[in-house]
Amino acid sequence: MRARDIAEDYPTVGPDDDAMQTAQLLAQRRLGAIVVVDDSGKPVAVLPGSQVLNFVIPQYVQDDPGLARVYDEKSADEFSAKLAGRRVRDVLSPRELRDVEVVDAEATVLEVAAVMARMHSPVVAVVDDGRMIGVVTVGSLLDHVLPSA
Amino acid sequence: MTGALATTAAVVVFVVAYALIATERIPRTAAALSGAALLAALGIVGAEEMFFSEETGVDWNVIFLLLGMMIVVSVVKQTGLFDFLAIWASKRAKGRPFRVMVMLVVITAVASAFLDNVTTVLLIAPVTLLVCDRLGVPPVPFLIAEVMASNIGGTATLIGDPPNIIIASRSGLSFNDFLVNLAPIVIVLMVVFIGLCRVLFRDAFVYHPERVDRVMALDEREAIRDGALLVRSLVVLAGIIAGFVLHAALHIEPAVVALLGAGVIVVVSRTEPREYLEEVEWGTLVFFMGLFVMVGALVEVGVIERLGEAAVAAVGDRYLLAATVLLGGSAILSGIVDNIPYVATMTPLVQDLVDATPDPQQGEAMWWALALGADLGGNATAVGASANVVVLGIAARNGHPISFWEFTKYGLIVAAVTVALTWPYVWLRYFAMG
Repeated sequence: MRARDIAEDYPTVGPDDDAMQTAQLLAQRRLGAIVVVDDSGKPVAVLPGSQVLNFVIPQYVQDDPGLARVYDEKSADEFSAKLAGRRVRDVLSPRELRDVEVVDAEATVLEVAAVMARMHSPVVAVVDDGRMIGVVTVGSLLDHVLPSA
Repeated sequence: MTGALATTAAVVVFVVAYALIATERIPRTAAALSGAALLAALGIVGAEEMFFSEETGVDWNVIFLLLGMMIVVSVVKQTGLFDFLAIWASKRAKGRPFRVMVMLVVITAVASAFLDNVTTVLLIAPVTLLVCDRLGVPPVPFLIAEVMASNIGGTATLIGDPPNIIIASRSGLSFNDFLVNLAPIVIVLMVVFIGLCRVLFRDAFVYHPERVDRVMALDEREAIRDGALLVRSLVVLAGIIAGFVLHAALHIEPAVVALLGAGVIVVVSRTEPREYLEEVEWGTLVFFMGLFVMVGALVEVGVIERLGEAAVAAVGDRYLLAATVLLGGSAILSGIVDNIPYVATMTPLVQDLVDATPDPQQGEAMWWALALGADLGGNATAVGASANVVVLGIAARNGHPISFWEFTKYGLIVAAVTVALTWPYVWLRYFAMG
């Protein structure tokens, strides 16, 4: 079994796409992450949903989690407003922009698993000749490596 | 190694390590530890001098007092008390920015008198950012005001600031001595400081009536994570403070009070070691140990004694001048270098000066001058006190970077005004009316 065999079609966004629409795409399709590709279709980053949260939740609430409880419902809803007018590249962390890890279409399932484990990423892009042909999600990967129930 | 060679070696090691600590070329803990190790390797000090001597060894009173209070703070931190107080105070201030700042600054100053300054600002900074965010006011002036209040408030008690802990252990002055001699002037300084904040940060107090609801909607009671833990922690904290107040009468060292408090709070909070040791800064404790060994080596080879004799000779009978130089000089040096190594080095010297002063009250004034100068001087620059460095880090991580000069611009004014105000206090209380 090779990466190309378990790769599936997956939505992608560009670095200059609207951040709010990207977040909505993650929400509507219940995606754990989305692959960011440049104009030539080459993956440049993986944007996990948790990074979107990291961007909207203020650092001080992350430092002192107890503060999250003092907000009323209405104020909590206001956080997503931070995405307005932002682009995908604004939301990505410097590390995510720097270390994009992709797998070759001919990679074995274990190679794919090793990359995902190292990157703590729920998806990994599969490339053939530099172009993305799909992604492997953690769900489909586990499906192939676990003994069938 | 003995004689002149040992003296030279001890001085060289001390000066090099001190320069490395001051310039932060290598981490301060590594500098102090390797300096101490080198002195031991050269045979200038041995185990007896380093570990078991009151004059030349590690001051275990200081180490264990710090350790005890760090454990207490680790537990208190988990209660959410600071978030509660800060939100409650901001709501009481009806979201008026200057009133909010006054409330937060007073909370920080009072807390800093009993807890470590670094911990206090770490606890108050996140909720301050939240309140400022809600009010739509810039958080930087609030953070700067808080850290300065923390340095001023910490001056008031024996346990408020590490230099005071060192001075207390070396001088034998009690918790109440510190309270009676330093707290009155600190209260005056806080009032003046609040007035200074009004002027220095006047541009930050923009009132947005439409945003006040956003603060009033916050629910401070939700900040209390564990009500039972809060009650227990407050009872233990009250017991510890009572222990400090009574320590001289009961003949118990402050370090023993802190360790007992730590032991009790660990038991009653039923927390895990990972939790109650979370705030223990092992690096800082090791830094202190290395520092004490290096200063102890200078005592051992007789350098401190000779410097002390020179200082006593230079002072003659001009004791007010000595106190003045100690106050001003300590303030300037503490703004430039960490005040902990400075005070650790100065205490044996000041002890000589105190012993040579015929009037015991004027002698004691030397200690107060050292404490006031070293503690308040820490406000002068962004690197003058550890808490300043911590606040700069928090601000940067939250997207509000404070530059060295932005801090120092305010710091120089606050340090100059507060130190200048302490001089008439020292003069009147210990010399003119003494």
